[in-house]
Amino acid sequence: MKRRTFLKGGLAAGLVVALPACSLIPVTPKRPQPTAEAAMGWVSCADGQYQLILPRIEIGQNIATAIKQIACEELGIEWDELSLDFHSTATIDQVKSTVGSESIKDFAVPLAQACATLRDAIAAGRSTGEIGLVERPLSDLRIFAAAPRYIGRRPPLEQGQDIVRGQSLYAADIRRENMIYGRVLRAPVSPELPSQPVRWDMDAARAVPGFVDIVDDPSLKQAQSKGLGILAKTPSTLDRIADALNVQWDIDGTFEQHDIDNAVDIERRLNSGRLANTIQSDSIEDDSRWDVDLRFDIPLGAHGPIEPRAAVAEFDQSGALTVWAGVQDVFFVRDTIARALSLDSRDVDVKSRRVGGAFGGKTMCTVELEAALLARAAGHPVKVQWTRAQEYRQGFHRPPSSHRIRATLKEDRLDSWWHGFASSHILFSNAVLPEWMQQITDFIGDPGVARGADMPYRAKNRRTEFDLVRIPVFTGPWRGLGAGPNMLAIESAIDECAIKTNADPVAFRRSHIEDPRLADVLNSVAEISNWQGAKPTEDTPTYQGRGVACGIYKETSYAAVVADVSISRDGNIQVTHLWCAHDCGHIINPDQVRAQCEGNLVWGLGMVLSDQLPVENARVAAETFADAPIPRLEDVSPMTIELISNRLPPTGAGETAIVAASGAIANAVRNATGVRPTRFPIDPKELVRSQA
Amino acid sequence: MKLRINGELREICAAWRDEPLLFVLREHLGLVGTKFGCGVGICGACTVIIDGIAQRSCITATEDVTASEIRTIEGLADNNGNLHPVQQAWLDEAVPQCGYCQAGQIMAAAALLATNPQPSDQDIDDAMSDNLCRCGTYQRIRKAIKRASEAAT
Ligand code: FES
Ligand code: FES
Repeated sequence: MKRRTFLKGGLAAGLVVALPACSLIPVTPKRPQPTAEAAMGWVSCADGQYQLILPRIEIGQNIATAIKQIACEELGIEWDELSLDFHSTATIDQVKSTVGSESIKDFAVPLAQACATLRDAIAAGRSTGEIGLVERPLSDLRIFAAAPRYIGRRPPLEQGQDIVRGQSLYAADIRRENMIYGRVLRAPVSPELPSQPVRWDMDAARAVPGFVDIVDDPSLKQAQSKGLGILAKTPSTLDRIADALNVQWDIDGTFEQHDIDNAVDIERRLNSGRLANTIQSDSIEDDSRWDVDLRFDIPLGAHGPIEPRAAVAEFDQSGALTVWAGVQDVFFVRDTIARALSLDSRDVDVKSRRVGGAFGGKTMCTVELEAALLARAAGHPVKVQWTRAQEYRQGFHRPPSSHRIRATLKEDRLDSWWHGFASSHILFSNAVLPEWMQQITDFIGDPGVARGADMPYRAKNRRTEFDLVRIPVFTGPWRGLGAGPNMLAIESAIDECAIKTNADPVAFRRSHIEDPRLADVLNSVAEISNWQGAKPTEDTPTYQGRGVACGIYKETSYAAVVADVSISRDGNIQVTHLWCAHDCGHIINPDQVRAQCEGNLVWGLGMVLSDQLPVENARVAAETFADAPIPRLEDVSPMTIELISNRLPPTGAGETAIVAASGAIANAVRNATGVRPTRFPIDPKELVRSQA
Repeated sequence: MKLRINGELREICAAWRDEPLLFVLREHLGLVGTKFGCGVGICGACTVIIDGIAQRSCITATEDVTASEIRTIEGLADNNGNLHPVQQAWLDEAVPQCGYCQAGQIMAAAALLATNPQPSDQDIDDAMSDNLCRCGTYQRIRKAIKRASEAAT
């Protein structure tokens, strides 16, 4: 039910263009830009109580808190006068998926405009009915006022009490009457390979106490993987049924780690001709004598959220479906499910729940569709939560990429810069697009893969180009998309340029930076870290070093990081301190921007020291966190964060510091050991070998 | 079969007795604060306190704890709903990002402080490093434990 309250706007029934159910064209996420008009549908007031429907998904940026700050500021009300609800596909008009650190950048002003309109209407004595938007100049918005009440402060975290008290918040926390548990068994290979169940032991499964049913439905398909559904009265009965069934699979094709490595191998790509996509297009002579010539390899990486994705699906007597989901876009899930089950999208309500970590990985529709299909077959509400092994095998991952960077230096300055790389897809993910569609999108390139590859330093000639390669493991958005890996490579190579010219790495960067805001964060981090040059010290039994890196995210946010490391003689790297300076324009909630910086620094540390996903026997071989480790508390150093405060338009903080964190740590390792890390994550044994 | 959870005796139906403690808590009894993260004892999201010791409920057989005192995140605040010092410190330091790991973190921290009210940095690293947080809230976890420790003295 859409809310009918005092303020209502932008809720006109949208035109739904239904594709035929047999369409080969996959459902794609729609990305309407938020408008103040649309924002009128998010806020309302009835009997003195204000209500805000959060137009974003809460995936851990505590965006609910920041959005509430904006609303309370503009409405001029007490914190407790506003209640905030998460959205469902039935409560607001379609909003775009929660990706790309856009929730403040794109939603702050429209929401403020709507709230200001509501405030003025109430002040003018209105108390019922719908009102029309009255837009005002930005300078009249209270969120930009000189003495704000909520902006720039640190109110209690929305849902903070519920988190520390263990209340029901996430998709998997939903319990419904007569609910049973489901799982879709699939062949133990990548869903990119055609596979299907051929034989199973039904009698053995039936004998398992708690067995409910088997669901053999052709719609239980993920890409090329045809699954077999199982239903049980309790969650771990699913394991026992899976064992008893002993499904035999028909699998077409195979691959190994070296097939993935070869596919993106930049040397192979270069040997087979020009790279297809150009980001910076100066021409560079091929016979240049390179002063710096490096290759970097960054492997498949997992998102590793602590919450494996989960959904609960329930049909009511009229045949309408409700799904509780922990995804980044409930509208995409609704449209996918409506298509697959031949339902009218108005009969599908997908409710957004707090997400237990997404990092770009919860953008597709998987477990929600499985739950819906199983619920339809069962005639009961069904909960599905992927196992950790399913997360690795059936989810998509950070693409592997392979980079070659070559540079010439003239009079201690960067002269030419050439960066060629190969990666599998990110935005045009193979998890969503079949191969024939990717062949079409490949003409556009993939802006996700390109992100962060436009080198931000002055050079006489700059050429940056890349190839896209489809690999048989699913890849897609991962925190920062291409920016993390691309900038790790760029900042490593720039560091090597500084070393070649005997320049201080901060000074070298400073003298080549084009964007003054980038220079500001660099200067700021140099100051807070008391930068005096990167001087390695060797104090038995450890090597100590310091590194710096900086970068721009999506042309709008800036970060610079300094890292100190201490490395044992056997190559074990301990990061001992991280400093970060960060500029995301006008800051709504400084404490939570800091929290995002801290998280990004930990992710940068993971990129250098641990992130990778082994492939074996036609699948991601990792099954537990032991096979795909993530940073632990003892790995994480103290962190010092400096926020640049200014009145520039607010941008994003969720993926910014990652662009500099990994580079700074890698450069610190180079500084400490004299060895340039080129394969990530760094293998301590290889580090020791290279040093010898 | 009965379990003593947060000071209350709870009846466990026959159909749930073979489930690990985690699913009994979450699905049978509705104590959903304790989380499923990996199911094999690695991540710590399912941490509860059993007879004073932080344990992984995902690998705890329900029949093994029928004589035990089990405490979950829902039972950490006092009977009047006042937060435990660790919960309060978690809010004061604004530790949670996505929040999914935090019930496990809080229970591990509460168990640590119960036996070691003034842990050193090394004690904290040792007690907490097996509780994973992908959002990277570790610096705040350290600070919150220190804060709770100070609040209690
Ligand atoms: S769910 Fe129990 S340790 Fe991960
Ligand atoms: S707060 Fe997200 S995993 Fe810890």
